[in-house]
Amino acid sequence: MKNRILSWLDERLGWAGITNFLTKKTVPLHKHTIWYYTGSAILLFFVIQVVTGFMLILYYKPTLEMANASVARIMTEIPLGWIIRSVHSWSASFMIALVFVHLLSIWITKSYRKPRELTWMSGAMLMLVSLFFGFTGYLLPWDDLSFSATKVGTDIPRAIPVVGAWATQLLRGGEDVTGDTLTRFFGIHVCILPIFLIILLAVHIYLVQKQGMSLPLEAEGQQEKAREIPFWPNFVFREMVVWLILVGILFSIALFFPPSLEKPADVMAPAPEGIKPEWYFLFLFQTLKIFPAHILFVTGETLAVLLILLAVVWFFFLPLFDNKPAGTRGKIVTLLAYVFVLYALIMSVWSLL
Amino acid sequence: MIRLRPFFLTIGFLVFLLIAWAGNTYCSAQLTETQGQLKTFQEEKEPEKIVGAPQDVKQRTGIWVFFIWMWISIIVLVFFLRLKIKEVDRLNALRFFSAEKK
Repeated sequence: MKNRILSWLDERLGWAGITNFLTKKTVPLHKHTIWYYTGSAILLFFVIQVVTGFMLILYYKPTLEMANASVARIMTEIPLGWIIRSVHSWSASFMIALVFVHLLSIWITKSYRKPRELTWMSGAMLMLVSLFFGFTGYLLPWDDLSFSATKVGTDIPRAIPVVGAWATQLLRGGEDVTGDTLTRFFGIHVCILPIFLIILLAVHIYLVQKQGMSLPLEAEGQQEKAREIPFWPNFVFREMVVWLILVGILFSIALFFPPSLEKPADVMAPAPEGIKPEWYFLFLFQTLKIFPAHILFVTGETLAVLLILLAVVWFFFLPLFDNKPAGTRGKIVTLLAYVFVLYALIMSVWSLL
Repeated sequence: MIRLRPFFLTIGFLVFLLIAWAGNTYCSAQLTETQGQLKTFQEEKEPEKIVGAPQDVKQRTGIWVFFIWMWISIIVLVFFLRLKIKEVDRLNALRFFSAEKK
């Protein structure tokens, strides 16, 4: 009976090609295999984000008057609303943390080299989209803290010469952070970014399947000895173990450390003390703070923003700068990865002090 | 030794169920008392900040019960998945899947 249903569906959908591909696909087994799990874990958290996000949309109202009250209602009146919000918020952090780990592992193992340059670029774009997801989502509760942090965050592009003021105005939907900004951020968060993310994700997954999984340098040297396991079922079962543990950790943290909600933002009130962005923006926030007001003929902020933009461009085009053939070492690039991690950690801790 | 494992697991489950039931009953009894105090407190002071998790004892107990059940379920599932992984790895070593593909 089951086989008849499957063959009936196969005749109409033609999925035999996909299942055939999955059964033939293999995954290299070596001491760096652990990094391969980060990709599917990101996907898992993205799915959690979509499901919980959809549940929150049912009750959230993106207007100046109702945004904070609707979040308060979700947290206090809607059955299990507080846990849905908590899972949504924490899974965003988990997802971004895993995106960082995923990209760092590729950076350190040099898996972005030929022929995987486009895979890296699509991954880097996915990271930017994920960060923008976090940035737009942070404003939605419309409380004191999120309002002030968004005010600071949307003011940063202003420092870019020529297009800065225009970019800030585009982000805010006006001169200041108002109800229009909230509606705009909501639209970007629930409509534009998901479309971008799904398209990029499809491209990224296609490229990963097309080029296959890369081997780290040590394993590549002894390719004939490298062990491989079938993707289905051997690797998928292993991934399931990782997913279960990650879901367990996510729910444990979401249950005991749910995000609170401050009082509704007052547009006219002065900014409260101790404004902090989300943890993944802390190192950028601190970088902007350490620059002096003026350096020669430019403002410190402009210089800092330009340097950050330069670093992002370098990061995006990394496979073009480090275009050695796969299998050759690149100590400077590895060193840069470690320096970046150290810098981000020191700056993040510093900004919390 | 291996045969004893299911026995200890069953005993563990039963003890857990008993503790969960006893805890729930105890907390329900306390709830009536606490609810009165909580209402007075809420009427006295309108909070500026909404705390994420529910504060009443019954719901807090529910959170703990869910938390323990969730981890028990995860541990059991991981245990079975490990068995499955061992099995499919053994089949792979015997080249069962490559024979199937042909």
